[in-house]
Amino acid sequence: MAEYKLDCLFEACPIPLLKALKQLEKMSIGDVLIMHTDHNCSIKNVVEWTKKQGHYIDYIEISEGEWEIYIEKAR
Amino acid sequence: MKIYHKIFKKPWPYWVGGIILALLNILMLSITGSAWKVTTGFLFWGAGILEKVGFAPNKWYYFAAYNNGLKDGQSFFMNTYTVINFAVIIGALLAVLWASEFKWKKIKSFRQLGFALLGGILMGYGTRLSFGCNIGAYFSAIPSFSLHGWVFGIFMFVGAAIGCKILYKYLL
Amino acid sequence: MTSNKIEELIKKRQMENKKKKNQTPYGIGVTLLALVIYLALLNYNLRFSSFWIIGILIGVTMQRSRFCFAASFRDPIMVGSTSLLKAILIALIISTVGFFIIQYNTIEIHGLHLLENIPGQLKPVGLHTALGAILFGVGMVIAGGCASGTLMRIGEGYILQIVVLIGFIIGATMGARHFEFWDKILISKSKTIYIPKYLGLFPSLIIQLIVLVGLYFVADWFDKKNSIMSSM
Repeated sequence: MAEYKLDCLFEACPIPLLKALKQLEKMSIGDVLIMHTDHNCSIKNVVEWTKKQGHYIDYIEISEGEWEIYIEKAR
Repeated sequence: MKIYHKIFKKPWPYWVGGIILALLNILMLSITGSAWKVTTGFLFWGAGILEKVGFAPNKWYYFAAYNNGLKDGQSFFMNTYTVINFAVIIGALLAVLWASEFKWKKIKSFRQLGFALLGGILMGYGTRLSFGCNIGAYFSAIPSFSLHGWVFGIFMFVGAAIGCKILYKYLL
Repeated sequence: MTSNKIEELIKKRQMENKKKKNQTPYGIGVTLLALVIYLALLNYNLRFSSFWIIGILIGVTMQRSRFCFAASFRDPIMVGSTSLLKAILIALIISTVGFFIIQYNTIEIHGLHLLENIPGQLKPVGLHTALGAILFGVGMVIAGGCASGTLMRIGEGYILQIVVLIGFIIGATMGARHFEFWDKILISKSKTIYIPKYLGLFPSLIIQLIVLVGLYFVADWFDKKNSIMSSM
């Protein structure tokens, strides 16, 4: 299992989602992607999209208005 | 604590937002007699700035045609648009502070800045042609049974598709 | 939907993570400020005070539900997800009924002759509407937010969105300056089309509701088509 980091600080919609989408395509099943973002919408639209695609996902707030989103590629 | 978390911390589902916004728009039309509009306020600020530096924008053709002017007792800076636009900013700030999620987000690159400015100008110019933005000419226009709301909505999709192409090419 | 792997990583991260600052004091401060402004407006201008309080509620709602009109148009095209578009269709269905009641009450008194008397947004429709909408759509996607979204994001602390607002003001002012040109070639030739004037009041309501509900089902189908079932 590999871990990938993705820095999405200061990016506006929809760049974080598109970056995650691109990165996930390159990864293999079981790998984890850690997204670092400060975009309030990411914890909604990235979460929603990955769930819809059937991957595992959760996030934590690491500082005020900054989150880390964990995505495990499931298929 | 759990209820606090649910209301102030976790994002609400989109449909909850949609229902509340619709009710607020109805409330606004019934109380004030005017539906939710945003961008004419931006024009008033621009015109107000021009007025301050010595131009006479209130003589422009625009303000004479189609009753686009201000009501009595209102100025370019002090009008209902200014009030509601500032209120939306303060409302969002409040929501973010209650969740302890406020953070200043700086500009990342010169390219980001350029596209933001260009996008803003395109939107601003567009709103003058179509009598409003996606609020005044869409979100408030379709429920008003005016055909221009539907036309605006359909062609906004065309514009968004072109915008997506540009975004993929230059911003990703 | 989380997995053991993610839970472990998050647990580890939580342990090393510093304690978060609490911004509630600022929240209380700004809440009080908003109330003071409301009270001041009550005395100054009653109309302004209603706009102020409704505006605050709009801002809170948009931020809390991450409502974004730009995304509702962009996401179906970009990633095939329509949950925001569906939320907007629900909002349009509800406000159609609400606006209808308000307009009906006015039309009962004044009739349908003078469109200016009808509450709501009634404006000329024509080629200029389409042109403006396309410009707006392009700008909205590359700037990462529409007009209301820009205001909301300024409240969230995005400096970039202040630049969008400046662009917006420049664009709107330029548009108004050139308005005479557009009015002469396009706008003055087109007229305002108030649908009930042509189809009747109740038929318009029914047809509009059927169309909106139909669009909702199309959006729902499109969303499902683009999820796990199909290939990426």
